[in-house]
Amino acid sequence: MIEDNSTGEILIEVDGMRKWFPIKAGMLSTVKSHVRAVDGVDLRIRRGETLGIVGESGCGKTTLGRVLLGLIPITSGSVRYEGEDIRSMSMSDLRRRMQIVFQDPGGSMNPRMSVRSIVGEPLLVNGIADGAELTQRVAELLDSVGLKKDHMNRFPHEFSGGQKQRIALARALSLDPEFILLDEPTSALDVSVQAQVLNLLSEIQNKHGLTFVFITHALNVVNHISDRVAVMYLGKIVEIASTRDLFDNPSHPYTHALLSAIPEPSLEESSRERIVLSGDVPSPANPPSGCRFHTRCPIAEAGRCDTEEPQLQDVGEDHRVACHFPLGKGQRLPVIHEDESVDEAPKVNLL
Amino acid sequence: MADDILSIENLRVHFDTLDGPVEALHSVDLSVGNGEIMGLVGESGCGKSVTSLVTIGLATCDVDEGSVKYQGTELLHRDPVHIQRNINISSTITALSVLAAVVTSIWILIEPIQGVTMVATLSLVGGLSWLFGFFQKSGSRKHMNFMRWIRGNEISMIFQEPMTALNPLYTIEKQVSEVMKEHDRLVAPEVSNLRRAGQALTTPVRLIFESLFTRTLPSLSILLTLTFVTMAHRTGFAGDLKIYSFGLILLIPLFEFLASRILNSEAENEYNQISHQEIAKMEGLEIGAPQLIHPAYFFLSSMPLAVAASLIIFLMLWMPFSALMGMLVICTLLALPAIMLQDYLRLDPAHRRQVVEILEEVQIPNPTAVVKMYPHELSGGMRQRVMIAMMMACEPKLLIADEPTTALDVTIQAQILKLMRNLRDEKGTAILLITHDLGVIAELCDAVTVMYAGSVVETGSLEQVLSRPRMPYSIGLLHSIPRITTGSAERETLPIIPGQVPDPNQHFDGCRFHPRCPFANEKCISTPPPMVEIEPGHFAACHHTDRTTVVSDVQDAFDEFALGYDGGSQSKEPQEPLLTFPLIDPIRVIIEGIKKV
Repeated sequence: MIEDNSTGEILIEVDGMRKWFPIKAGMLSTVKSHVRAVDGVDLRIRRGETLGIVGESGCGKTTLGRVLLGLIPITSGSVRYEGEDIRSMSMSDLRRRMQIVFQDPGGSMNPRMSVRSIVGEPLLVNGIADGAELTQRVAELLDSVGLKKDHMNRFPHEFSGGQKQRIALARALSLDPEFILLDEPTSALDVSVQAQVLNLLSEIQNKHGLTFVFITHALNVVNHISDRVAVMYLGKIVEIASTRDLFDNPSHPYTHALLSAIPEPSLEESSRERIVLSGDVPSPANPPSGCRFHTRCPIAEAGRCDTEEPQLQDVGEDHRVACHFPLGKGQRLPVIHEDESVDEAPKVNLL
Repeated sequence: MADDILSIENLRVHFDTLDGPVEALHSVDLSVGNGEIMGLVGESGCGKSVTSLVTIGLATCDVDEGSVKYQGTELLHRDPVHIQRNINISSTITALSVLAAVVTSIWILIEPIQGVTMVATLSLVGGLSWLFGFFQKSGSRKHMNFMRWIRGNEISMIFQEPMTALNPLYTIEKQVSEVMKEHDRLVAPEVSNLRRAGQALTTPVRLIFESLFTRTLPSLSILLTLTFVTMAHRTGFAGDLKIYSFGLILLIPLFEFLASRILNSEAENEYNQISHQEIAKMEGLEIGAPQLIHPAYFFLSSMPLAVAASLIIFLMLWMPFSALMGMLVICTLLALPAIMLQDYLRLDPAHRRQVVEILEEVQIPNPTAVVKMYPHELSGGMRQRVMIAMMMACEPKLLIADEPTTALDVTIQAQILKLMRNLRDEKGTAILLITHDLGVIAELCDAVTVMYAGSVVETGSLEQVLSRPRMPYSIGLLHSIPRITTGSAERETLPIIPGQVPDPNQHFDGCRFHPRCPFANEKCISTPPPMVEIEPGHFAACHHTDRTTVVSDVQDAFDEFALGYDGGSQSKEPQEPLLTFPLIDPIRVIIEGIKKV
């Protein structure tokens, strides 16, 4: 369990969240094993903050988000919204407070519905507005995301990707929620449009005082928009810290590797050393024992890392990491060359 | 330049659509030097991929003008005007006469002799004009064969999505080996064709023995059943016993149920700290819904098997010879030939070793196991590596990589980029890297070309374009990427380029970037900007290169411009109806279709 000692009112508490998907096989469709998409996550989301969740594909980011919203049932553990378990809350109540923007803006809209009905449907279903009032509200919402009133009678295919994502955001805002989950909202967009959408998100957050959980695989986007960042690997959070702290002093070897692997579009930094991890992410159906990262970790120690599972521990103010040998300030990972020899230069001071 | 491996000059292409031609590329000039990695960057829809497809002759568009030269050889083929006209006339006559022949065939019902004569004449006319067109096309056919040789041997391409580029129905070894076969790079086979045929003929016998040892339980139960049936006939009880075979409908599910119970408790995997029963208990406690599988479920799911088995045994007891004949027919006509053919077509051991070697070159872990897998069993990075291995094995001199890492994670992307760099360093392969990620460009490339809406807007060495961009679009693009800032306070809003990429249908007289550009004036609207050489090797297409020397000034201009930008004027207007004459259009579509065939 996390003891949260930092300031800020907690909006959502996640305790020991597990989401295992059964793997069925054979003629009898018996459950052979489980895909451990999310396997024991403790998380505190504070009111008004933006929490970025980063990780590679298949690490359980999206599943975590969907369980958070109650879109899929939780296997074990609990999600509490303002102290109340979301399973005991009514769906309509839940949806008024928590909303989601999906990754693919085109795929999450009915192509046969006009923008007015797409954005207005939550209002209609919840009996908030109707008729001319609905039109008025939709116009306001479209205006708040930078679209025009006369876009209302068009259909999704008439818009570009960035505009579609704006419509999706307007739909999420329609019930005036407190919390919006953004599931890779910009990964389908072009760079120049991505910048427009990111700016819009910050603007809306400031205006409405929203809490965001921003799921993405793009670390530069997370760095720009988040207050805190959680790094996930194979269904577990391996490091969580404030954005500044995480990017300045990453502690987990995986975070190190992830940060060094991003290609930066500038020449000065392209000379810095890259840590190229060997191999692929293991299958979440059969995760490695002990620390899940030990199969790819350059500083893994046999006997400890492959048997004992590390727990999240404090390494600094508001900075937790799940590693037996967290790297301190300014420490670097040893660079592994192709011939498997290890550079002797950086001496990693293990605890 | 003479030492360029690929040079594209003033390329202009269009796609024919029902709403008229859509110009995809306007003026593309691009050159890749020997052993150079050239990055082609731009947003979606700017024509990056079309450029590469035109280069290797896979594009479905029509080239209006320009040239693509590979080591001085022209890769584009355009028939001379009179031949184009001849082909056009002959295909129109063919299409019309086929249509007319179909229509006049009704006449046969009224006047048989006249009708047949008319149809025959029209068919003759159609056939002759087709033949004429066929000979006129000989030039382009020759060029097509030439391009087929160029692709793979000289120029290879890595496609964006490795899952769609690999065939999901074949194993990796088949697909890699096929590429080798197509390009005459197969090693000599280890087993001769005659020996292979002999092996294939004996396969069924071998399979029966193998199944006796490897899958003992099912084979034994089949043997036992056969013995039981034979004994029943010998002792004369078959007639009395046959009705009891339907008891198997209940017995088989029961057996399955018990077996699954036993096997499930045994097969506990070593990493599983929590057993499935515990999970079920946990779920039951948390959600209040017991997850235990009802026994009735087992009975229902194994019912088809049970019914089939009992029917077969019933038949064997009732009329043994008919059942035997039936089984023999099924086995000899269907199963045996299929097994033999499959065995005959199996990959040669020498070829498999060749594939393993190819995969080893791209550092695929455990290649001997990977070769037998299907594409869906591999992760995205592995699939992309297989694609790269296939392309590399032919040792092309130019590799076109169309967004090779877009679908991959950053840590895998780092591996692939390293692989491509090694390829260049070790074999001197020139690479044309197409991407929208400027980070990848900075990582890998020597030179960069920036494209916007179908034309090249800036080109130069990596250092020139990334540190001293001069075209406003390149500047905006570079700065709208969120950077990872360490330390100091961050900027609240990202610098943006207002507006969107224009629709390819939209016509521009001048610069295609002018609606989004803060410096746009009358000149930009009326005249297309020429490529200006700013410093040796660094070109930019802009009328205002004198105003873009200081990057921060341009950025401020963009910020200011974005504030006053009217977003609505750029959004798509409702389109005009596509079909103006609803009656004539379908006929046009039919004629076009026949002409294509």
